[in-house]
Parts: sequence; C-alpha cells; structure tokens
Amino acid sequence: MLSYFANPERFDRLARTLIPWGWGLTLALLAVGLPWALAVSPPDYQQSESVRIMYVHVPAAWLGLFAYGALGVSSFVFFVWRHNLADLAARAIAPFGAAFTALCLVTGALWGKPTWGAWWVWDARLTSMLVLLLLYLGYMALRAALEDERLAARSGAILAMAGLVNLPIIKFSVDWWNTLHQPASVFRFDGPTIHASKLWPLGVMALALTILFGVLVLTRMRTLLLEKRADALERARERRLEAEAREASQ
Amino acid sequence: MSALAALFRREFALAWAGGGGTAGPAAFNLAALALAPLAIGPAPDILLAAAPGIIAFAMLLSTLQSAERLFSEDAGDGTLELYVLSGQSFALICLVKSLAFALAVFWPAPLIALLAGIAYGMSGEASLVLALALGLAAPGLALVAGFAGALAAGLKRAGLLIALIAAPLQVPVLVFAAGAGRAAIDQTGTAGANLLLTAAFSLAALVLAPAGIAAALKARLE
Repeated sequence: MLSYFANPERFDRLARTLIPWGWGLTLALLAVGLPWALAVSPPDYQQSESVRIMYVHVPAAWLGLFAYGALGVSSFVFFVWRHNLADLAARAIAPFGAAFTALCLVTGALWGKPTWGAWWVWDARLTSMLVLLLLYLGYMALRAALEDERLAARSGAILAMAGLVNLPIIKFSVDWWNTLHQPASVFRFDGPTIHASKLWPLGVMALALTILFGVLVLTRMRTLLLEKRADALERARERRLEAEAREASQ
Repeated sequence: MSALAALFRREFALAWAGGGGTAGPAAFNLAALALAPLAIGPAPDILLAAAPGIIAFAMLLSTLQSAERLFSEDAGDGTLELYVLSGQSFALICLVKSLAFALAVFWPAPLIALLAGIAYGMSGEASLVLALALGLAAPGLALVAGFAGALAAGLKRAGLLIALIAAPLQVPVLVFAAGAGRAAIDQTGTAGANLLLTAAFSLAALVLAPAGIAAALKARLE
C-alpha cells in the first residue's frame, strides 16, 4: 500500500480529495468543540475558568509529540526505502510540529501563571518539551543549511531518527521524576481520571486539531510537490532558451 | 585490528597537534569558568550551589566548540573516501576516530573540573566526584558532538548548527553529571546513581553514535 501511494500523481489525487473533507471535518468539530470547551463545560473546582486553557494545551502537546513521531517514521521510511514522498512528508511535518510544540509551551505558560504562580518552572516535562522544540529547530536549520537537496533529505532523516530517543523521555518524564506537572490523566491503565464533562470536549478538540494538522501537512506536501515541478519546468525552459540562443548565433 | 590501531595513532596525533590541539578547548573551558563568577557575583553560597552546573556546562560548550574540526577536513580532502574503501567497518572507524579525538582533546577536562570545583568552594571530595562524572561524560559528549559535526561537516557556519543539533541530545548527560556533583555537595547519597546514569549515557552513545556518524558521513559520499 505504501508503494501504491508513493506515486506522486496518485498522492496528489488522493490529497486533493482528502483536503476539502478534512477542512469540513475540522470546522465542524471546532464548531462543536470550541463552544463546548470554552463555555458549556463546567469550570474546575480549584482552577475555576483557567482550566479551559487545557482544551488547547493538551491537544497541542499531544500533536507536538505525535508530529515528532510521524517525522521519525517518515524519516525512517525515506532512509530505508528512499521513497521521496516520505521525505516530503518529513519536510512538511516539521514546521507544524514545531508550531504545535510552541503553542503547547505558550498555553502552558499562560495557564501556569494563575495556577502555579509562575510563567515557567524548570520541571522535567516543561524542559523536555522545550528540548523537543529545539530538536525541531535543529532539524529545520540543518535542512535549510544543506543546499544539495538529496544530502539535506538524508542528513535530515538521520538527525530526525536520532531525536526519536527523546520521545519516551518526554512522555514518561512526569512518571519518572517527581515534577510539578501532573501525571498522565487521559491514557492510563486504570482509565481516565478526568470527569466525562471535561473529557468529551477535550476529545473533540483533540480530534479537531489532529485532523487540522493532517490537512495542513497534506496541503504543504502538495505545495512542495508543485514547487518541485515548477522548478523542473523552469530549468527545462532555461535550457531550451539557451539552446535556441546558441542556434540563432550560429 | 592493527589497521584500527594505526588509525587511532594517526587521529590521536592529528588531534593532539593540529588546529589548537588540546590547548584550544581547555582554554575555552577555563575562560568560561573564569567568566561565570564575574557574571554571577562572588557570593560563596550562590557560587557553591551553581558550581556543578556551571562546570559541567562549560565542558559541554567546549565539546560543541571543538566538534567542528572533527570531520570537516577529512570530508574536504578525500580521507573519508579512503576510510570507506579500507574494508574496515566504517562505523568502527568513526568510533575509533571520535574516541582518539576525545582522548587527545578532552583529557584535561576532569582536571579543570577538579580545580574549578575547589575554586568555586566545593569540598575536595565533591570536586573529585564531579571530576569523575565529567570523565565518564566525556566520551558521550564527544560522540554526540561528533554526530552533529558529521551532519554539518564542511558547511560554512557549521559551529552554530552543531550547537543547535547537539545540545538537545546532550541534555541527559548534563543533568546527570551535574547531578552527581550536586549530590556530592549536599551528601544526599545519590551521587553514585548519578555517576552510573552518566556512564550509561556514554555507553549508549558508544553504541548508537558511531552508526549515526557513519550514516551521516556516507550520505555525503554518494
């Protein structure tokens, strides 16, 4: 199946059908999830209204981690099977993953000030998310610095795979170290510890933002593909013009 | 095996003599350690609390600063091609080269840590623990910095890129090595555990980093 969609033409057709559907789903879910999370769901008995930041913060954190996982997997697929679309996916995922990680850090700081009394604490979870943001930035900086596109793709893939080591550290940092950040409360062996009145809007928001992420990545992949094709056409046109100029001068 | 031994001797001699040798990173390390108290202020209690962190951080910076020269010349003059053609495992060659470099360049780091620890007001015993931690951290730090150096080899502003790539990957060793020093100061009894975790990081880097370095260097030979 992987190699079936590795054909750029087929991918383009698929992406063109998926993107409008994805936008529709995202907007519908946001139309339900945003009012539910920001107005209808009950305030927390300790944090009162500031708990609503969580409905953006948690999906952003999840997407920051998920996107790095996806970046690592695409890099692995590219590194082993040399599918160019996998490299394209990695290139497209990185900026959005970095954006969601940054969003997670910013919303966390906005929530931390009224709740913990500090914008930032050097706690294991916060620091490891910051390290994740640095990994994204390093990946993008390396790709930007290498002019040869093939070398950039391969070096980027190697770096992205090396950075995967960090993912379990971030995920389990709240369990391994005694930290201020609360431990996992949604995905647990003994079931979620959040009340259903908050869990449902959180789920809707997480789904909405995840689909949004998918749509953005697909759109960016299409843009990159078109850019490549435009580059190739431009080069072909220049070669033709040069050849014509040479013929005319003879 | 003798080929690898010859490689080790060559790389060690080159790292020892060329491009500032041992003196460059050591001087950089010392300069960073001399500037920190001037910035923080001379209050002994603050300096003592900050000492393990500053000393470990200064060493980390010196590994970043020297990583640029590990592979960039060999990538430019064709030495890497010869290494690939030598028939030896390329990852093994990268490991030997990195370790020879680390040994030639970073051997003063634990001594500097010992002296700096005492100068920052740590007890002799705590300074020794910190020096031991940095000695255990050195191979790991050097290999991770070498990995970043291999990815950025030959680029114009490789130094900046190396710092951005390697720093996130070096975070655990910084935490544990400095943690060993702090535990020795506060006598919490966890210094040994921190030392073991530092050693574990270096051992993991010893296994994983050579493969990464080899892959990164081979990518530019294609």
